[in-house]
Amino acid sequence: MSAILECKSLTKKFTTLTALSNVNLTLERGRIIGLLGPNGSGKTTMIKLINGLLVPTSGTILVDGKAPGTDTKKIVSYLPEKTYLPDWMKISDTIEFFHDFYPDFDSKRANEMLDRLHLDASRRMKTLSKGTKEKVQLILVMSRNADLYCLDEPIGGVDPAARDYILNTIISNYNENATVLISTHLIADIEKVLDEVVFIKDGTVTLHSSVEDIRTKEGKSVDTLFREVFKC
Amino acid sequence: MLGKLLKHEFKATARLLLPIYLVLFVLTIVDRIALSIDFRGALNVIPGFATMAYVISIVTIAVVSLVIIVLRFYKNLMTDEGYLMFTLPVKPSQLINSKLLVSMFWNLVSFLLIIASLLGVFLTRERFGLLKDGIRMVLNEMGKEFGTFNMTLLTIEFIVLVIIALINNILIIYASIAVGQLFNGHKVLGSFAAYIGISTVLQIVVTVALITLGALFHKSFEEISALPQIVFPLTIGFTIIANGLFYWGTNFIFNRKLNLE
Repeated sequence: MSAILECKSLTKKFTTLTALSNVNLTLERGRIIGLLGPNGSGKTTMIKLINGLLVPTSGTILVDGKAPGTDTKKIVSYLPEKTYLPDWMKISDTIEFFHDFYPDFDSKRANEMLDRLHLDASRRMKTLSKGTKEKVQLILVMSRNADLYCLDEPIGGVDPAARDYILNTIISNYNENATVLISTHLIADIEKVLDEVVFIKDGTVTLHSSVEDIRTKEGKSVDTLFREVFKC
Repeated sequence: MLGKLLKHEFKATARLLLPIYLVLFVLTIVDRIALSIDFRGALNVIPGFATMAYVISIVTIAVVSLVIIVLRFYKNLMTDEGYLMFTLPVKPSQLINSKLLVSMFWNLVSFLLIIASLLGVFLTRERFGLLKDGIRMVLNEMGKEFGTFNMTLLTIEFIVLVIIALINNILIIYASIAVGQLFNGHKVLGSFAAYIGISTVLQIVVTVALITLGALFHKSFEEISALPQIVFPLTIGFTIIANGLFYWGTNFIFNRKLNLE
């Protein structure tokens, strides 16, 4: 089985800046990986490339051995940093939408999670607060049985109590062959769930290591290391 | 997957159009009744108001049909909702197809409903006779001028032209929006600029083509059969080429140059 994600000399340039430069990165299956870096370091560009929302300037990116396209979109579950659900939809409409388009979507699981967070499926998206919308999106994304979950800043906008619930959701909902890629700069909150970290700075990967190794070799937490590496 | 895209596109658009269709239906009946009653004195304003409301509802349908083409495409694909649509396991061309087909459907339905409603308000037994005779006369005269073969040809070409011209109008808008999203931070402005640019280029090309072809077919243009045998086929051919270019361009941008904010 090929690696779930493989980047070779991956470069993405925009007219005025180079967002990613010569990235070589291989992510294995069955890990929870933090994609960590300061604002504007290229985290979102990376995730958009994985999801085919951007096309590389040069180099290759392979998801399950294939270039991003219809086939890879079937196995990648993506949570963007945007509230991307149409505001006229009811929560129940969004569940039907995901059910129609993603064969791996588990409606039962989604409804159970809605119940647990006391969210009424007949509410319209536009009547929900920003944090609640994010919860709904996360529930939809985590209710898929995907091979790769890409979560872009999944905990930025929600309160700490919901944050814990969401992290538990992430850990408990993915199967052992799936990989979860979480981009964030709120490291302390998610450090305890991570198996590996990828540090990204100015469009280059500066570190790819297991959390275990960082703790034993460097003798510090990921959060401390991050603060040192990215010291302003 | 196109079927599912169509299903959800219908769902998203029907909620806007069906209520307006219902209003048109009610106002058609109200206006018909108001116009048939002989109001006296101050009550005379009633048919006036009824007709005004009726005309407004017709204009609204025409406008909303257009707005749906523009707004659905822009909002659903180019704003935050684009993150949802472009990560579905479908090809970008299927996204374009679903939007195009549903837009065409609503435009045709709106057109037919407006005609039906106008007939509903103004048609009487007497006017029906006049209308029937008028249409029959025009068709007869045209038949005599063109001959059966050319008349049949002309009818088929006319129907084809109406459909591909409708597609053309929609695809110009789609291509403009797709080009507009390349301008980071000025996507709406960029779309308008692209629309003006594309329309201008199209006008120039058409004018040049007409002059050139006019010179080429100078003699034959004097024959009436030139309409079904030269003018219409050329127009159809040209529109199909333009449609192909707009479609290809939109699809290319979606595949290679997508730039969601």
